[in-house]
Amino acid sequence: MNEKAHDAQLMARIAAQDQAALRGLYARHQARVFRFLLRLVRQEAIAEELTNEVFLEAWRNAGRFEGKASTATWLLSIAHHRAVSVLRRRREESWNEEEAAEIADAKDTPEVELQKTDKAAILRRCLEQLSPEHREVIDLVYYHEMSIGAVSSIVGIPESTVKTRMFYARKRMSELLKTAGVDRGWP
Amino acid sequence: MSEDETALSERDEIEMLLPWYVGGTLDAIDRDRVERYLAHHPEVHRQLELIREERHATILANEALPTPPAGAVERLMASLPMRRPDLLARLLASEGYRSIADFFSQPTPRAVRYAAYAAACLLLVQSLAITALLLEGNGGGYQTAAGKDGGEGLSFFVAFTDTASTADLTRLLQDFDARIIDGPKPGGIYRVKVRSSDRSPAAAAALQRRLAERRDIVRLALPAKE
Repeated sequence: MNEKAHDAQLMARIAAQDQAALRGLYARHQARVFRFLLRLVRQEAIAEELTNEVFLEAWRNAGRFEGKASTATWLLSIAHHRAVSVLRRRREESWNEEEAAEIADAKDTPEVELQKTDKAAILRRCLEQLSPEHREVIDLVYYHEMSIGAVSSIVGIPESTVKTRMFYARKRMSELLKTAGVDRGWP
Repeated sequence: MSEDETALSERDEIEMLLPWYVGGTLDAIDRDRVERYLAHHPEVHRQLELIREERHATILANEALPTPPAGAVERLMASLPMRRPDLLARLLASEGYRSIADFFSQPTPRAVRYAAYAAACLLLVQSLAITALLLEGNGGGYQTAAGKDGGEGLSFFVAFTDTASTADLTRLLQDFDARIIDGPKPGGIYRVKVRSSDRSPAAAAALQRRLAERRDIVRLALPAKE
């Protein structure tokens, strides 16, 4: 049985209030959902709480899952909305790119200084400096391997905006790399 | 150019598709379009290298993150709102009920004899009770049924775990000298009255805590207004 069919079967069992199926779904997707949330809210306790909320919502609404999108897309879509609510409530982290970059820049430690000599580490550090909005799209495309349509469904934006958002996220990352001394010759 | 701006050069349009091209998640039409463009513009291959670098860094950054802590799934399962089967249905499905049902559905001469004895005993108990009530009535005053059988107590809204058996519920009620007085309400919640002469907030809090500690049986315990 392929992954999609397995997930669809679990969702059908969850709709019939099968707790073992929910455990199965959790085991398959918990790392993906938790990491996606952690990258956005940046606090493990909150990410765990939100992860539970995502699976609780899956438990309540499994009957409405039509299978048009993949289960992972559906779960990440719930996670996205939960994270956005938290970020809006907290107002600690703005969706403004410049502010996010300033927060990250203030965190330099000796370890970070050492990492500045390693290109891969610099790249990872620049990723952290992106706004949550840009980091989210990069994570969805590169780590979660989501198609343009899936990202559009998760984030709730048109496909054309998904493409331009990814483009600008990459451009911003190149600018941050250049500031850190790595000129990639693009853009 | 804003994120929503659509007037783009062909190169921009192709560059925008490259992250999905590298990830293998582009649809067939766009993939062909990218490949045709790459065939005629070898300088764009440099972009593919940059994207692979970014992709690698993103995967490493995510894989370095933890997974949910141990016990997280148990907390999730404990918080599930259950559509519990009705308590009456569970009692009807219990062994004790089946024995009683068999007794009446397949009467034997011995069973009929027991039934006659039981009926006689019931009549005797009833007549004694009526006599006692009449005597008490002479003493004056009247009391509601609740006041008579456990009106002194504290009420709680209690939801039981999905795995709790009828025997578990019976044992819990005995342990707390409690009885179910209402329910199930939406969410599988019952109103339970615990006999207690102390009705202070401290006593209520202590009882609530003791109920909540029976996690194998009690999913939720909240104080209810009397």
